[in-house]
Amino acid sequence: MVAITRRSPVVFDVSPSRQEKRDHWNVALEYPGEGEGPWITDLCHKDRWDVQDGDLVSLASDTLPIPEGYGQVALSPEMSVNRMNRTQAAVWHFTDQPGPMPVVSSFTETTEATVFLALYGPRVFAVTEKLTGLDLGGPDKKPPQLVQGPFSHVPCQIVVAAKSGEYPGILFTCSRGYARDMVHAVMDAGQEFGLRPAGEDRFKQWLNRF
Amino acid sequence: MMNRITNLPTLKIDPSKAVSLKYHDIPYQGCAGDTVATALYAGGVRIFGRSLKYHRPRGLYSLDGECSNTCMEIDAIPNERSENLPARDGMVVREQNVKGSAEHDKLSFIDKLDWAMPAGFYYHTMHKPAALWPLAMKQIRKAAGLGRLSPDFRQTGRFDEIFPSTEVCVIGGGPSGMQAALSAAEQGLRVILLEARPWLGGFYDYRTVQDDHAVPLYERGRKLAEKVSAHPGIRVLTHTSLVGTYNNGLVTAFRRGSSEDSFAERYIEIRAKSVVVATGCIERPLLFENNERPGVMQAGCAHRLLNTFGILPGKTAVFAVGHDLGLEAALDLHDQGVNIACIADLRTEGQNPDLLKALESRDITYQPGQTALEAHGKKLLTGVVLGSMDGSSQKTLPCDLLVASAGLTPVSGPLTINKGSVAYDAHTGSFLPDKLPENTRVAGRILGLGDPEAIEASGHLAGLQAAQDCGLDSAADLQKAEQALAELPGPEKGTDFVIGPVSGRKSFICFDEDTTIKNIKQAINKGFDVPELIKRFTSAGTGPGQGGIPDHNLPLFTALYQGSAQESVRPTNRRPPLTPIFLSTYAGRNHDMAKRTPMHDRQKQDGGIFRRLGVWRRARYFSEDLSCRQEVENVRSNVGIFDGSTLGKFRIHGPDCLKALDRVFVSDMHKVKQGRIKYTAMCNEDGCVIDDGVITKMGENDYFFTTSTGRAGATVEWIRYHTRYEGRDFHMVNLTDAFGVINLSGPNARKVIEKVVDQDISNEALPFSGVKGFSIGQNVEVFVMRLGFVGELSYEIHVPSSYMESVWDLLLEAGQEFGIMNFGVEAQNVLRMEKGHIILGQESEQRTNLLDVHLGFLWHRDKPEAKTVGSLALKQAEQDPDRLKLVGLKMQEAKVPGDGCVIVDESRIRGYVCTIRKSFSVDGIVGLALVEGPLAKPGSVVSIYEDECKGNLLKADVVPLPFYDPEGARMKA
Repeated sequence: MVAITRRSPVVFDVSPSRQEKRDHWNVALEYPGEGEGPWITDLCHKDRWDVQDGDLVSLASDTLPIPEGYGQVALSPEMSVNRMNRTQAAVWHFTDQPGPMPVVSSFTETTEATVFLALYGPRVFAVTEKLTGLDLGGPDKKPPQLVQGPFSHVPCQIVVAAKSGEYPGILFTCSRGYARDMVHAVMDAGQEFGLRPAGEDRFKQWLNRF
Repeated sequence: MMNRITNLPTLKIDPSKAVSLKYHDIPYQGCAGDTVATALYAGGVRIFGRSLKYHRPRGLYSLDGECSNTCMEIDAIPNERSENLPARDGMVVREQNVKGSAEHDKLSFIDKLDWAMPAGFYYHTMHKPAALWPLAMKQIRKAAGLGRLSPDFRQTGRFDEIFPSTEVCVIGGGPSGMQAALSAAEQGLRVILLEARPWLGGFYDYRTVQDDHAVPLYERGRKLAEKVSAHPGIRVLTHTSLVGTYNNGLVTAFRRGSSEDSFAERYIEIRAKSVVVATGCIERPLLFENNERPGVMQAGCAHRLLNTFGILPGKTAVFAVGHDLGLEAALDLHDQGVNIACIADLRTEGQNPDLLKALESRDITYQPGQTALEAHGKKLLTGVVLGSMDGSSQKTLPCDLLVASAGLTPVSGPLTINKGSVAYDAHTGSFLPDKLPENTRVAGRILGLGDPEAIEASGHLAGLQAAQDCGLDSAADLQKAEQALAELPGPEKGTDFVIGPVSGRKSFICFDEDTTIKNIKQAINKGFDVPELIKRFTSAGTGPGQGGIPDHNLPLFTALYQGSAQESVRPTNRRPPLTPIFLSTYAGRNHDMAKRTPMHDRQKQDGGIFRRLGVWRRARYFSEDLSCRQEVENVRSNVGIFDGSTLGKFRIHGPDCLKALDRVFVSDMHKVKQGRIKYTAMCNEDGCVIDDGVITKMGENDYFFTTSTGRAGATVEWIRYHTRYEGRDFHMVNLTDAFGVINLSGPNARKVIEKVVDQDISNEALPFSGVKGFSIGQNVEVFVMRLGFVGELSYEIHVPSSYMESVWDLLLEAGQEFGIMNFGVEAQNVLRMEKGHIILGQESEQRTNLLDVHLGFLWHRDKPEAKTVGSLALKQAEQDPDRLKLVGLKMQEAKVPGDGCVIVDESRIRGYVCTIRKSFSVDGIVGLALVEGPLAKPGSVVSIYEDECKGNLLKADVVPLPFYDPEGARMKA
């Protein structure tokens, strides 16, 4: 009998030392030897929505704070709402069980469409500058801020969550099919800085700073 | 380290750490901090290789890689600049361009044949008879020196790249560059400072003279370097050579990694808002007979050999120089024990009086208004003829070192490469920056400055100017900095001397290409009267040194020889890379970013042979049998499972979505219903088919459609582009990667799927062209389409990607009793071809429209409101009988021509084969072809031309389509 399992497209060289089953996903909570950072965490199991509407602001609520300005991000430990353009926003949930998606045609479930990764910790922008010409740590970036552009030559949606302090970091998505090569490119770029896969526990610690 | 002076405060080597390398299988010992060339020089090596054309011995001349003299093969890599490359333990060094050895080169006799090889020798001699050239080329290439790279050579090491952004990029880590970096960084800007040498300091780092505050310049340089390195806003990249500068503040460079770095070489692509060029000067070579004989070197080279590397460059030295830096070098060399036989100074005025006093106090013979006319010595320098400028008085002095330098040449490549320009300046006798590229500033010696305080002040000013470029208001500071600079000494007086009274036969203006003054005269005499033409006719400046040696001498001599003003000429253009760079460095890590389907690993385990198709990696075959017979037959007789996840998948919703669909799809989209799928196509403005797929209605103003794999990436932009003026209110979501697609095909397909779904899936419940949602396994929601691309009963199951592998496993388990097996892209290709279904791009091209490929039935001609893209062109084309038409072919003989073979008649090409395969379903070789209208009639016979067919054309009959199941009974079963 085939057991139903949801599989993340992300594959690291190491297996998690601790994981749990959640909605058919095997969620990695911790990896062996996570080190001192920087870290990369697979967030593919986190729910994501696309919101598109001619009157986007009308869909905003206390539980869904859609920012008014393009490129602005409403980041909290529960979610990131990224205003992409006049009519579109992306919602990335961080909680284990977010509420159901509103039954409005403006919303589309996109959890399966993208690979979702967090890259954070010391020297994270030294890693990113090996992968993109986007000036993610530049003085014109006011975190949290959305940047859309190529990352390792692949179109990505990137949220600069923090760029200074002890734990700068970004969250980003790209087409799910690129997961394997994207992770390979990021790990390769981060090798010299000690980049290691980290589980959801460490990610939550980082996220709770916001 | 007996051969080193170890007590100099300026040293950059660590005499306590030995570095061992091999040359001629003999170990040479250098010190940490040495370059390969300095380690060899310290070990007594004087001849590093032979010249390109004449096989003349060549030695250490500069230490900044301005010529190919010290290019060597190091660790099997030819053309390494040994004077720039840090020595490392275990390096194996060989000379290049020699037959025998650098000391004893059997081809050195060519030097005596220079009379037979005038400028333009190849142009004159190699075109008649033309058959001579291939023979001559081989011999010339054997004799000429470009190094040899073994075909088996594999370069090791890690080559990567970074793409940093900054506000200010400073090129050059000398005093002015460091000051520019500091003043920009103190304005709160990010600064990247590039320096080619492994340390900062520029021309301060080896000089012992004191500045106005009685601080030796090397100490001043170190203090500045410490300040720069400690500044949090400045990122220092040493050992980083410039590749190019471009508009919009793009600066490219590469950095050589040390043993502590994670890379062998790193490509750097910087985006800066402002660029400061503080590249200083190189020395202008002095022209005289045998001016490149080993033992002749530039003042900076001799000075740095001593003060940076602790090496005495010779025992008895003669100086023939034209600037104070030469006098400083003479003093330091003298103080460390070198016998200075004489200093000939081109100048008769403008010398630093303190230096003259110091020479006098040491009893060093100093002769102003004199120059070198000829170097003596067969392989190495043994003496020099000095004389007055007009040659009226001459004397010969024995020596083993001749320090020769005519003046200074500002390094303006980073400016001119980016459309900046230089102009002759009579005061300095050199070409100084004239027009600067946008948001580019200059500082330091490139402006002709020589006074240390002025050099630093110009750097400070340039840093503030760069800050202004970045939008900072620093007007007050700028004014102050401008005033401070104006109060300091300006550009130093230089010499305009070019060459003494010599024949020029062995006076080399370009070492890399063995170009002599005589060659330049020959070129000018033939009418090549400007430097850019002379460069091309004589090759001067086209070698790896990028014109570093002939840079100023070529235009100055051109003007002198023609009696024209120096203002009428300028140095030749530079082009990137300004410094040679490995192709490996350009390539970088070269991650091949491709997409994988959710079934990638599983299909690989199942023996899938993958090919890159567009952005995807796809399983093309599942066996070594490239005809895929087993895969095809299993689908026809049983059931096959295929991963179609790469299909484009889109949701379109919003009040105006139907209008948008009507605009881009050729069909009447109002007829698309819930529970049914409609096959349709998109055309471009010429009516040519660009995409096809199916569409279904999901709800009110809500549709889901698929596209071909190759077009998925362009679909959203295509639809938005074609509705851009109409203000339509609709939205699109690319769900291509959100769903995996399982194609279950074959007569047993229903038997398999009905075992896993939760509802009736009979032909009545889900007929052909139907679509329905099902639950599989533990409530995995999927939707299933009844399609027939391969001509059999088929189900296209759209599964959320994360569940894909589990659902696939369920189907495999269910299909086990029915002999289910994988089929790949090639088997699908054969199956659909037998059915006569086209793949866009394979059976279509930029000339073929919807009608040509028999898809005209999709076109709804009477859409009342929508202006269908391509409709107008289709109306014009439908009466044209000569257009290419899609036809079926059946080969008359048992040979399969390749896809793409042309169809010909006696005089011209009449079409081509799109796809043709051995078909096991219809027992024959059949295919699809595009042919001109008159040939498209069934019964026609066409002739197929294959490469290398030697006139034996293959014959095929034009037959009706499809080849397989013409009534479609099987797919609708």
